[in-house]
Amino acid sequence: MFEMMIEILIKTVVILGLPLGALPLIIHVERRGAAFMQKRLGPNRVGPFGLFQPLADVAKFMFKEEVHPAHVRPFFYTAAPMIALIVAILPLACIPVAAPFEAFGRTIFPEVFRSDMGIFFAFAASALGSYGILLAGWGSNNKYSMLGALRACAQMVSYELSLSTSVVAMIFVFSTNDIHVMVAAQQGYWFNFIPKWGFFMQPVAAMLFLVGIFAESNRLPFDLAEGESEIVAGYHLEYSSMKFALFFMAEYIHMIALSTLFIIMFFGGYNLLPGLELIADKIPLPIALFQVASLVVKIALMVWFFVWVRWTLPRFRYDKLMDLGWERLLPIGIANLIVTVLFVYFRN
Amino acid sequence: MAIDIFLTIITVIFALMLVFSKRTVVSAFALLMTLLTLALIYFQLGSIFLSAVQVLINAGAIAILFVFVMMLINLEQFQNNREKSKIKLVISTFTMLVVLGVLALVINNNIETLSVNNLTDNSMNALFSKLFSTYFLPFEMATVLLLAAIVACIVITTHEKQLVEEETELHKMEPKL
Repeated sequence: MFEMMIEILIKTVVILGLPLGALPLIIHVERRGAAFMQKRLGPNRVGPFGLFQPLADVAKFMFKEEVHPAHVRPFFYTAAPMIALIVAILPLACIPVAAPFEAFGRTIFPEVFRSDMGIFFAFAASALGSYGILLAGWGSNNKYSMLGALRACAQMVSYELSLSTSVVAMIFVFSTNDIHVMVAAQQGYWFNFIPKWGFFMQPVAAMLFLVGIFAESNRLPFDLAEGESEIVAGYHLEYSSMKFALFFMAEYIHMIALSTLFIIMFFGGYNLLPGLELIADKIPLPIALFQVASLVVKIALMVWFFVWVRWTLPRFRYDKLMDLGWERLLPIGIANLIVTVLFVYFRN
Repeated sequence: MAIDIFLTIITVIFALMLVFSKRTVVSAFALLMTLLTLALIYFQLGSIFLSAVQVLINAGAIAILFVFVMMLINLEQFQNNREKSKIKLVISTFTMLVVLGVLALVINNNIETLSVNNLTDNSMNALFSKLFSTYFLPFEMATVLLLAAIVACIVITTHEKQLVEEETELHKMEPKL
């Protein structure tokens, strides 16, 4: 019992600590990436390559005066940032970072909450993502916040549908809800060089999911919730210092969690990167380390993709956004689902 | 055991808040918390799939739509003039009696229900093979009932004349877009 508790504690610290610890780095990459794409320097003054700039920002967030406007609804106003961050962290609990391995005389599953319906839990947790934003908008009692929150909520609910259709298609393809089984099914190669990734089995579902995660995490080109040129700053307009930082962190962690789910279903999860297994055989280190490294590299590439898209595409107009969600992506998603189900049915 | 009682008490408190709160958004929030604590109770009872679905569908989609609509049309302005009609009282009492009666029937006659305990292994496969074989009729009846409720909602809330007017208005607007 005591050992179990220690194990869960260590897993929690590692799996939840890693993304939180990587946040400053990601924010730095985002800023420097933006600067790189816009032909300017970006933050490069604090420390080597400006790497300590995020730390300086954290210090600023902590010591800044916290403005608590008089017109807000206090309970919802205070609860919203906490809910946003907690809900963003929750899906990470079901995500494994390596295959189950033997250590200390038993099998250790490298995820906090082991279940054979892991993928379901991850999506159930991320479905709650809009509450933080919605309550922030309501609690702020401000027109612009409210508009931002309503936009964010409508957008997230709409895109969740097409996202779910692609997830269901993948569940049919792998015929399982267990993340470990899903990842194991993506091992190996076709013709010795194309990895058996979900992306090559279901390219349509992969594209739907990719668009879905941009919309779910409120990133450009879907950042209607913030829309600086239209509604000032959207749902976090009334928030300052650490409360704002919580929203900021929630956005990035939501992004990481959704990218990890994307990688698990479409890019082989923690399976070794193509070519790495040749090296891994020769080095006497546990295979789990290579798996964690592969997953981290894949997530880093996804994060870079997010940054790349953010500074390349302009924001959607609101009605076009809704058209895309309901009239294009959803029918494509349903058609893809039907074809997949028929294919899986006749294959068996 | 203690955690069961604790969860039940919290669920009941939130459910009471849902009914008796004067502010609609607080009610909606209480609804959300009731759904989430119910999911925790399912989880505690060992039905992992049901709790995940409860969070995914009820808390993640349906409650969000409630909160969304309440905020969109700002129901707070109607909060003080809650009408107290006799019809409402009669209907709600009747519904409560029916629900209590069905519950009493199930408990008294030991009717076999689909619970986690009489599944051999707690996986989705076991659950759905039961649901689509032994319990197919009740399952389909529930879906038909839900469909009927949806149709009834549309019929009650829209009047025919209004619908026609809206359509013509939309028709006029189209060239502008």
